[in-house]
Amino acid sequence: MTEEQTKLAIENPKMSARDVKVFYGDKQAIKGVSIDVGMDHVTAFIGPSGCGKSTFLRTLNRMNDTVASARVEGEITLDGENIYAASMDVVQLRARVGMVFQKPNPFPKSIYENIAYGPRIHGLAAGKADMDVIVEKSLRRAGLWEEVKDRLTESGTALSGGQQQRLCIGRAIAVEPEVILMDEPCSALDPIATAKIEELIHELRGRYAIVIVTHNMQQAARVSQRTAFFHLGDLVEYGVTSDIFTNPRQERTKDYITGRYG
Amino acid sequence: MSATRTPTDWKSDIMQKRIAGRYAAERRFKFAGLFAVVLSASFLAFLLFTMMGNGLRGFTRTEIALKIDFPASPLLLDPAAITDESLNQANLPMVTDTVAKKLLGADADALLSPTAWISIRDAIKADPKILSRTETISVPASTGLDLAAKSNGSPEMEAAAARLKQQGVLSTGFNFSFLTASDGTDPTQVGIWGAFKGSLLTMIVTLLLSFPIGVATALYLEEYARKSWWTDIIEVSINNLAAVPSIIFGLLGLSIFLNLAHLPRSAALVGGMTLALMTMPVIVIAGRNAIKSVPPSIRDAALGIGASPVQVVFQHVLPLALPGILTGTIIGMARALGETAPLLMIGMRAFIATPPGGITDPATVLPVQIFLWSDEVSKGFVEKTSAAIIVLLAFLLAMNGLAIYLRNKFETRW
Repeated sequence: MTEEQTKLAIENPKMSARDVKVFYGDKQAIKGVSIDVGMDHVTAFIGPSGCGKSTFLRTLNRMNDTVASARVEGEITLDGENIYAASMDVVQLRARVGMVFQKPNPFPKSIYENIAYGPRIHGLAAGKADMDVIVEKSLRRAGLWEEVKDRLTESGTALSGGQQQRLCIGRAIAVEPEVILMDEPCSALDPIATAKIEELIHELRGRYAIVIVTHNMQQAARVSQRTAFFHLGDLVEYGVTSDIFTNPRQERTKDYITGRYG
Repeated sequence: MSATRTPTDWKSDIMQKRIAGRYAAERRFKFAGLFAVVLSASFLAFLLFTMMGNGLRGFTRTEIALKIDFPASPLLLDPAAITDESLNQANLPMVTDTVAKKLLGADADALLSPTAWISIRDAIKADPKILSRTETISVPASTGLDLAAKSNGSPEMEAAAARLKQQGVLSTGFNFSFLTASDGTDPTQVGIWGAFKGSLLTMIVTLLLSFPIGVATALYLEEYARKSWWTDIIEVSINNLAAVPSIIFGLLGLSIFLNLAHLPRSAALVGGMTLALMTMPVIVIAGRNAIKSVPPSIRDAALGIGASPVQVVFQHVLPLALPGILTGTIIGMARALGETAPLLMIGMRAFIATPPGGITDPATVLPVQIFLWSDEVSKGFVEKTSAAIIVLLAFLLAMNGLAIYLRNKFETRW
């Protein structure tokens, strides 16, 4: 470990990656990234388009498995357990490491069903009454309950974009994950909806380890405590958010943050 | 330095001309489309009109009311002991002939259907008491008289029909036996039920085989199979299979199902299996397209909360792809329903006078029945052929209607 990484090493990291490389066919998308994600803060991944931040995020719950040509090297652990080990059940992993996507993608089913689907397939609810409790709790945590409590049977796709995204966050919360990965969750939303999501991220912090990929540096500054800057598949700099934005150590970080490229 | 461009004059003559030309092109395109629609609609109307004109007559039958004085007839039957055997021994055809000659004149032979005696036999069997009194029994008229009564027959028959009408014994009514009887040699007695049931059984076999296999293939190729030269070959083969002429599937069925597997000849089972071979590629292609068009974000969403691949496929992808798969299925099934050639190859063109009891019984299907009847010499089969076509089209419409209903039911509104 370099001096810098030692300084950033987190006690009892929730997830940690060591020398992770990702290949799409012959092309290397991630060139040896090591990072620790802590439980009690929001970690933001920033960087220009194509820098590999989303790719890296998707290795954390093995969503890259669905891409036939993708190959992951290195080690990623969740509570010290290698998630790429043969003994790791990928279905359980994804229940423990939930994901919210760039474009709101509710199921074309009712709002209630959207939330209830995850708990149902994992057998988390003991009966209808229990499920009702889970649905209400999840929607409350997602800050959507007051808006939809009277129309739970309506289609999730009938909601506005921002509401849909909060529904997707509620859907992820409903299976009681330990980590929530958010892949540019606000890029398809208007400023008001974005503000609501950011507020929600604040509220969820501490309960879940949250990793958010964002294009928007102000957003990273607003919602995160740690920021990692990716560039061309490298993790250029990782540090406390305020340090990264006020006092970047690397030239490339400084250039990006001051808007010289990106 | 390039020459400075003059600002575009949008009101100039050239521009006005361009606008007019553009509008004219729009109008031409619209009229071409409208013309095509009108043309195809008029073809369809013509088809339906001629079909109905001929075919609806096929559903009716002319009957002659014979007022039979049984005690005076040469019929030797004991009303107390009517059995199938005694009826068979009574020589009813001859008796019918005699009675008819007395009632209708010397040309009665030509007026009555050769199977008219069956109506009398059935009447006696239903109520033996009529043997002791005079009873009016309606018997089917001959093909010639039937045609003369309904539309145009030979001059003699027209005359006979006019005469009988005057006597008030001629009547034309809906022919229920056309819907309940099977193939026969006398056009006044034939029915569509045998072929209809054969078609129904064949379609059931086809659907039960081709739908699950086709959908499973499409799902496997889209969701599970890794892209390789192997899947490429499968894809090309399936696309080619969909374009193979149907008679070749018939030869395939003949050589594999009949000669190799020794399955029963002329049966709905083999017909259904052969048509399933033909329908499957259509379902696979439509199914793959429908599965492909399910947005990947839905797969991500389900995987992202920990759904297993099987759950993703059966709880998300398949329900969303179902309308498209059903559309493909119905196109394939409609083609299979109208298919004749491959079924001729596996012996479904045999003359079968009883409806099939099951999928292994000898059967024929509607299009083959139409083909067989259209080949008959007797003039009475012309309208029966048209009537059979109407039944086939009605079957097709019912099937399509069901598919559209199912498709709308499963359609997801986004």
